[in-house]
Amino acid sequence: MSKSAWKKMLTGVFAIAGFLAVGAFTAAAQEVQGGTLYGNMQTVTQDMLNRAAGDGNNFLHTNGNYEQTRYYPARQINVDNVKNLRPAWIFQTEIVESQETTPIVVNGIMYITTSFNHVYALNAKTGAQIWHYKHKMGPITTYCCGPNNRGVAAYGDKVYMGTLDAKLVALDAKTGKLVWEKQIADPELGYSETMAPSAVNGKILIGTNGGEYGIRGFVKAYDWATGDLLWTFNTIPENSVGVWAENDATGRNMKRDIAAEKAALKKLGDPYKTLGGGVWQNPAVDLERKRVYFVVGNPSPDLDGSIRPGDNLYTDSLVAVDLDTGKYVCHFQYIAHDVWDLDAVSPPILTQVRDANGNMVDGLLHGGKTGHVYIHNRDDCSLIRFSEAMVPQEDMWVLPTKDGQRMLPGANGGVEWSPMTVDENLGLAYAINLHQPMTYHVESSPYPEGKLWLGGAFKVIPTEEQWGNITAVDYNTGKIRWKVKTPQPMIGGIMATAGGLVFTGEGNGLFKAYDSATGNVLWSFQAGAGVNAPPASYTVDGKQYIVVGAGGNVQLNYKRGNNIIAFALPD
Amino acid sequence: MLAVVACAGWSAPVHAVENPVNPDESERPILPEEYASVSTELSGCFECHGVSGRPIEPAFPILSGQHFYYLYVQLKDFKAARRTSEIMQPMVDELSRDQMKLIAKYFSEQEWPGTGFKGDPALIAKGETATGAGQCVQCHRGAYDGDSRVPRLAGQTREYLFNTLSDFKHKARMNSPSKSSLMDSFDEADLEAMAEFLADL
Repeated sequence: MSKSAWKKMLTGVFAIAGFLAVGAFTAAAQEVQGGTLYGNMQTVTQDMLNRAAGDGNNFLHTNGNYEQTRYYPARQINVDNVKNLRPAWIFQTEIVESQETTPIVVNGIMYITTSFNHVYALNAKTGAQIWHYKHKMGPITTYCCGPNNRGVAAYGDKVYMGTLDAKLVALDAKTGKLVWEKQIADPELGYSETMAPSAVNGKILIGTNGGEYGIRGFVKAYDWATGDLLWTFNTIPENSVGVWAENDATGRNMKRDIAAEKAALKKLGDPYKTLGGGVWQNPAVDLERKRVYFVVGNPSPDLDGSIRPGDNLYTDSLVAVDLDTGKYVCHFQYIAHDVWDLDAVSPPILTQVRDANGNMVDGLLHGGKTGHVYIHNRDDCSLIRFSEAMVPQEDMWVLPTKDGQRMLPGANGGVEWSPMTVDENLGLAYAINLHQPMTYHVESSPYPEGKLWLGGAFKVIPTEEQWGNITAVDYNTGKIRWKVKTPQPMIGGIMATAGGLVFTGEGNGLFKAYDSATGNVLWSFQAGAGVNAPPASYTVDGKQYIVVGAGGNVQLNYKRGNNIIAFALPD
Repeated sequence: MLAVVACAGWSAPVHAVENPVNPDESERPILPEEYASVSTELSGCFECHGVSGRPIEPAFPILSGQHFYYLYVQLKDFKAARRTSEIMQPMVDELSRDQMKLIAKYFSEQEWPGTGFKGDPALIAKGETATGAGQCVQCHRGAYDGDSRVPRLAGQTREYLFNTLSDFKHKARMNSPSKSSLMDSFDEADLEAMAEFLADL
């Protein structure tokens, strides 16, 4: 954070504290509590964010901490008593639509978002509404797969949200009033925002959706206080050709016609301007290396490789950039020249892993749509190993045809955007999976100016069974430790806790706790609508809560709802 | 009169919707001042798409309550010949972008009318399976009511829906290539069923 930014932040804190000290401020019942002897409890400091992995009171990051482990350190709710877990409160939002928010909790105040960019501040102990912000949506939005939003970032005295009309808004955390908003990109050209931003060192980081619309992807950093753009990393370099890789990350041949691609390159030139490469999940932040690691989505158009010759860098890749400058550091591409939309989406996790020589190194995990967990060395992004496939793989990599070719996994992948979690004590990563057989169809067309541009179609095979898994993978060996089948494909996210539990929900409304060591189901609750949002946890007045959104899912058409449900043990 | 001529020139087979609405001058809405620059054009629209929101023939789409940006893009596409129609192209030929936006705004702010359509249950079930296979909800949303650049399909006239799906399949409509690719993977019976399902919503 710059000196001036810190000064502004601190000035804000002292100003509020001073205001309170003279007793001129009368807090209404529905207002966020302000200053205390220890400062303004609603101010999120960099130190709080840095220490989030060990913070058993708050939930400060979309994926729990900068490492994105989604491992919550509180153990009041545990394998022995989780059977007694019951709803503490239910909050109903104004919007009955797909719910993908991760609740952010700051000293007893919870911030949630909904589809179409509403934000609510709630009393995390009671579920009572404190304020409600409704984004004034512009008339033009372009998005695939639902009007979703995955939550806010909290930093200083503000909370931040990306919007469907491709803006970044900063709200006063205390009142919900708009402080500033910035247009990130042009929604008419296919850009939109559904991811929660990330906040670090005075920067608000955000990527973009649009891989189905011929965008050029990016990650941008904005100044937390002013909204000024600090840097942009284009996920598609002007030379996107790469090394003409013939095999995927696992060594399987992808049946590329390199000669035809080279001829196309000569004729058409580099396709970088409309090559896609969205980043729509949070980056992991390595504070020590001052790097951010994120995964980049599919090339545009999804299925038609004929008009985008080359490896299509950095689509379908893990990428690291410098936190201060946004400059490229390293990358690893899972699938070069992808024509199946089996891209890289689920947010990366930083943890210690055993390398090929048995040494513990700074590692990184990514749950791929291919159905593998990929384990990397953080130094250079290189691949150490990949896990056993968590879902069936058949006929990889058959090329799409006009009449359609069946291949598994289907285009929603083996792991969708759903964040994974890890329990480092067990050395396990937990992923939720989809088995959804599809046919892949290709048909070439020029870029239709901001309209959906798939270069063909994905089609579910309605006569084939679909299902899901929760899978625990030993990331030091790549072996699957346990796997539990679910009746529907899984989407939404998962969280592990120090209580020896993992929590995740299903499209049929069931929200369950599993024994993280064995996969045994220890508790379940029927939420009445699809539980397809990542769970979170927090503690208020000595009581631990588990919280999750139950609003269903557009992409898999799971029953919609509008509930945020917090669970706790009986008094 | 242009619109009357245009409607009469529509060659597709049409069947009357229940309670068709005639563009009786006495029923014409009093347009707010902001639409003064497109009042003549809107009168032309009413000739086919109806005064009260219900089109005069089911081959013409319901525009009232449709999304602003979708309507605007379609008007732009007609003008640029990205979407072809012997009726619509002359209608939009002279329109400026601002006029197109006003027309789109007007219709987007009207109420979506009911058609009274009741589909065949067996066809509806088949249509629901087909739209599921096509993952149509991913863009058109669970209630098939669309948003912004994605049109509402729910409760649209069955005939227009089928014609549109078929036009995508047979490349008669070319302004959404991904739709053409998807519809190409369905047979005519599936398209009939999808139209039945969506019109009944």
